[in-house]
Amino acid sequence: MSTNKLIIAAAGSGKTTHLVKEALAIKKDSVLITTFTEVNEKEIRKKIIEIKKYIPKNITIQTWFSFLLQHGVRPYQGIMHDKLFVKKIGFYLVEGKSGLRGKNSRGIPIYWGESDFKQFYFTKNYKIYSDKISKFVFECNKKSNNEIINRLSKIYHHIFIDEIQDLAGWDLELLKLLFNSESHIQMVGDPRQATYSTNDSAKYKQYKNGKIQGFIDKKCKKDICKIDITSLSKSHRNNQKICSFSSNLYTEHPNCESCECKKCRENISEHEGIFLIKSDDIENYCKKYETVTKLHYQKAKSPDLNYGASKGLSFDRVLIYPTDKIKKYIKDGNLTGIETVKAKFYVAVTRARYSVGIIYDYNDNDTYIEGVEKYILEGE
Amino acid sequence: MNISQIKIKNFKCFKGEFSLKLNKGLNILVGDNETGKSTILEAIHLALSGLLNGRYLKIELSQYLFNNDVRNEYLENFKEISESETVPLPPEILIEIFIDDIEDETLKALFEGNGNSTKQKACGIQFKIALNETHQAYYEELVKCGDVQSIPIEYYDFSWSSFARDERVTPKIIPIKSALIDSSSNRYHNGSDIYISRILKDHLEDSDKIKIEQAYRKMRDAFMNDSSIKDVNVLIKDAINISNKKVELSVDLSSKNAWETTLTTYLDDVPFHHVGKGEQCIVKTKLALSHKQAQRKNVLLLEEPENHLSHTKLNELIKHIQETNEEKQVIISTHSSFVANKLGLGSLILLNVDSTTNQRTEIRFDDLKPDTKNYFAKLSGYDTLRLILCKKVILVEGDSDELIIQMAYKKSNEDRLPIHDQIDVISVGTAFLRFLEIAEKINKPVAVVTDNDGDVNLIKEKYKNYLGDNKKDFIEICFDETEDTGDLKIGKNEKPFNYNTLEPKILKSNDLEKLNMILGTTYANEDELHKYMRSNKTDCALKIFDTKENVSFPQYILNAIQ
Repeated sequence: MSTNKLIIAAAGSGKTTHLVKEALAIKKDSVLITTFTEVNEKEIRKKIIEIKKYIPKNITIQTWFSFLLQHGVRPYQGIMHDKLFVKKIGFYLVEGKSGLRGKNSRGIPIYWGESDFKQFYFTKNYKIYSDKISKFVFECNKKSNNEIINRLSKIYHHIFIDEIQDLAGWDLELLKLLFNSESHIQMVGDPRQATYSTNDSAKYKQYKNGKIQGFIDKKCKKDICKIDITSLSKSHRNNQKICSFSSNLYTEHPNCESCECKKCRENISEHEGIFLIKSDDIENYCKKYETVTKLHYQKAKSPDLNYGASKGLSFDRVLIYPTDKIKKYIKDGNLTGIETVKAKFYVAVTRARYSVGIIYDYNDNDTYIEGVEKYILEGE
Repeated sequence: MNISQIKIKNFKCFKGEFSLKLNKGLNILVGDNETGKSTILEAIHLALSGLLNGRYLKIELSQYLFNNDVRNEYLENFKEISESETVPLPPEILIEIFIDDIEDETLKALFEGNGNSTKQKACGIQFKIALNETHQAYYEELVKCGDVQSIPIEYYDFSWSSFARDERVTPKIIPIKSALIDSSSNRYHNGSDIYISRILKDHLEDSDKIKIEQAYRKMRDAFMNDSSIKDVNVLIKDAINISNKKVELSVDLSSKNAWETTLTTYLDDVPFHHVGKGEQCIVKTKLALSHKQAQRKNVLLLEEPENHLSHTKLNELIKHIQETNEEKQVIISTHSSFVANKLGLGSLILLNVDSTTNQRTEIRFDDLKPDTKNYFAKLSGYDTLRLILCKKVILVEGDSDELIIQMAYKKSNEDRLPIHDQIDVISVGTAFLRFLEIAEKINKPVAVVTDNDGDVNLIKEKYKNYLGDNKKDFIEICFDETEDTGDLKIGKNEKPFNYNTLEPKILKSNDLEKLNMILGTTYANEDELHKYMRSNKTDCALKIFDTKENVSFPQYILNAIQ
């Protein structure tokens, strides 16, 4: 019977808290908690310290890349190339594809291939490219006869991965190896919040953007990993109006429900739901509702946040500066047009406990998508 | 958990790479001075603790840690440097500790990988003293100026890494701890003894340490709150105007381990460093051996325990080591054949520097033929060490031969005995070949003085591996090529007299009159003298040894003392 588990969680369902609690319940065995972003790694640390006051000896918290570098790349790097025995391999974060060789006469970029080992994987100073690190680990493990995975499973009896939807490409291949190892793998993630990706590799492209469940169903051994879609399906944060609105963005996933227990809903605000707010009213709106956090698609200035950066955080109320695509969606409700910004927009919407304001100079007579209300400033 | 192997590169007397496999339990390092026994202990301790000469390496880091030849070869680079040449690589010191038998699988896996000089999967740590990469630019600048007189140690740093290339390794997390007990040295007389407090500290659980820390803190608070101290501090505040900040007396809590440096261990009300050196050695050894925390086992490094210890104390210490060494890895360096013999020849590791190649080699009894090993294991052990520790050896059959050789040597070397020139004369009975087997391994210059026993061909057959085409440069087989004969018969059974032993040969090279004079006898003919000498071998030898007369020695003996 498999001891690996994937929990598909809804936004605001307390998935990181759940993960941390599960990890803390393990007293003796060694535990790794890993996640893609540094922000979330810090959040995990903070949560553990909130609960326990300290980080227990048997728990290690590390970002995915730092974990891959320490336990994936370094222990057996020499097997990949004789030169690597004494080299110190560093890490180089790239966006997009690494290993640019130059451009051809038509200006199309040409990349180093695998046969040019050094240039394919590394910068000049032997820093390994972030988009190739998991491939390197996979190949190195293969060449070393599974030494890397064997070593790992001895070091960490339990591996918890938060925000699993961020893993992509060769990461998934590593995940498969981990499933088959002696370590117990537990993952949580919200496929709807696939706002980041560890790499942009062509490997398993079809399972990018939060299709992790599909990967496990189709590409992994049957029953090697249990998938749980119920335990964390309720949002403790968002009220039902916000849940319904955000669920509409992902028709392929079951609708997310708001948790209606007393504890979650003890504070009720008179201003709850999704509101369209005219730009002229912003100032008044913020004055009236003091706890509004403003979210921008990009280039937010503190204390405002970018949609992506708000991931994992909770606010009473948010005020979203929408992109043109989002505006179009508000009007016509057509999901295909919003595809590229959908995940981030979803994150932004699901931050709020009570209300989501979207800045939109609406026309009093027009109708908009289901679930949004026109905000009318009182007293005018 | 134990150290299975150590590799040392460029550290002190080790030029280039040196590798030594270690036994699980007891290891006795023997060898002449300068063969690197102590350096091996030092290297192990340094790599496991970061301590050198009882102090943190940060303070002790100097270019003299580097092998002299390596340093000179490096500096040689700068004598003829041309513009185009690349910057010569500054030398680095590398110590690798291979760890075996870690029970905790997680811990074992953490230190496992191919980040070691064997390029194979192994478990252990690397300790490196090398140019700090961040100082590379300064270094290149220095080289360009061309004024490199020494290894630029100021740009050097030391670091640990696991064989999994994890560079966050510190002595604290290395699973194996070392305790170096060096009774031979008085370099630690200043300051509190870092060893004793370290060993004691290793005995304590974390919770105990925290209790001590808190007690220490309380002591400070009590001190500060004492009315007399308060008064003094008021006085200071008013009288001393050195700063506009508050000036007061207090106890230092700033250093990380304040209590360790301040607290002192007492033995029977005497501070530890005032206790006799011998007692110190025993207490430290016992402490280190009785380590409580099973998870963090100690390797005990004992340097020349025979120093400062009386015979009985040494006996006590050795008994203690014997009783506990099954679970503990102990590495001892010694010059004492008593120590080596008592603890067992099976654990002996002989270190040797080949005089011609300057290469360091190790010889173990495991390498020898089983019957030779058996022979030496049963032997006192004393002679083996003599063979190893002297510069040259003359092997003889018995005591009388030994005396004659001594005399012959003395006579042709301005009254110096062989031992003054570090030449040892060992009587080995019939075990010549066994000693030669060891000598061959360690390239030890040996002369064998043997009787031909009336059959030169038989002797040539016996030593065929060392004669003729098989002749080794450093092994000389000396015997008389002439087979002497005579009519003398000995005893009731009328056994023919052996004319080919030392005594008849001496008579032959002198004459009856002279020998009568030397021996104080008045035999009328040679046969009578033969009989007398045969039955009073040692007496005769002593007389020859003591005589003022000018004795002539057979040529083969003179060959041997050459």
